[in-house]
Amino acid sequence: MSKPPSRTCTRDFPGTVEAASDAENWVAGQASALGLGQEAEFAINLCLEELFLNAVQHGHANRTSISVCAEADGVTVEFADDGEPFDPTLAPAKRINGPTDDFDIGGYGTGLMQKFSRSMSYRRFEGMNRLVLEF
Amino acid sequence: MRMDMKVIPADDEITHVVLDGRFDIQGAQAVDSRFDELAKSSKALVVDLAKVSFLASLGIRTLMLSAKTLIRRGGEMAVCGADENVEKVLRTTGFNEVAGIYPDYESAARTLRERLAAFSGKKP
Repeated sequence: MSKPPSRTCTRDFPGTVEAASDAENWVAGQASALGLGQEAEFAINLCLEELFLNAVQHGHANRTSISVCAEADGVTVEFADDGEPFDPTLAPAKRINGPTDDFDIGGYGTGLMQKFSRSMSYRRFEGMNRLVLEF
Repeated sequence: MRMDMKVIPADDEITHVVLDGRFDIQGAQAVDSRFDELAKSSKALVVDLAKVSFLASLGIRTLMLSAKTLIRRGGEMAVCGADENVEKVLRTTGFNEVAGIYPDYESAARTLRERLAAFSGKKP
């Protein structure tokens, strides 16, 4: 029996915080065409928001690109940006441990991406950060 | 409007905040300043997330900042009604270590009243 064909959607977005919302709307619009379930859509959007904020606010990226590929056994998302080199797979996963009033209010993105994706792999290629996430 | 925020002053101790929408970048920007005011003026805050379909980085930041402000003022915070994905986000960051997660408003409010009473040495 032949394997069902994979379905891929790709789009470029400017390196702005506002574009993160556009990207979320775009993913939502592609969700039914790609056959994404509600859980996958939630996880993808969670990771995209984190990646956009990292790329724009910390990496000073000017442009980004998102590819979503739906296959029979899952969804693969590649997020590329032209910001400063940053490998989120090496960043520690932060978590509040125990009751305290001395905790950070940000920096939890890596832990969230690790929890909500099956795997993450990073490479720097042709001046772009390229993060591949599997869901 | 991606995020609607309703504030219900339940009594002199608990402020009930009901959110409806997506707690994404835009959602967080829409409610940030009101959360800041509430965290600086309330004794206890219960944030109802039953109608929140999405929670990400900036939404978490808004909740954590409110929790931190309240705790440092001797106040309390809790959330309730979160769906499976939203609760997974909260627990992954450890938010549940500083603010309780409850199934509904009644159980959250009851626990916060007990904690406030214990703190002030009064019976609930």
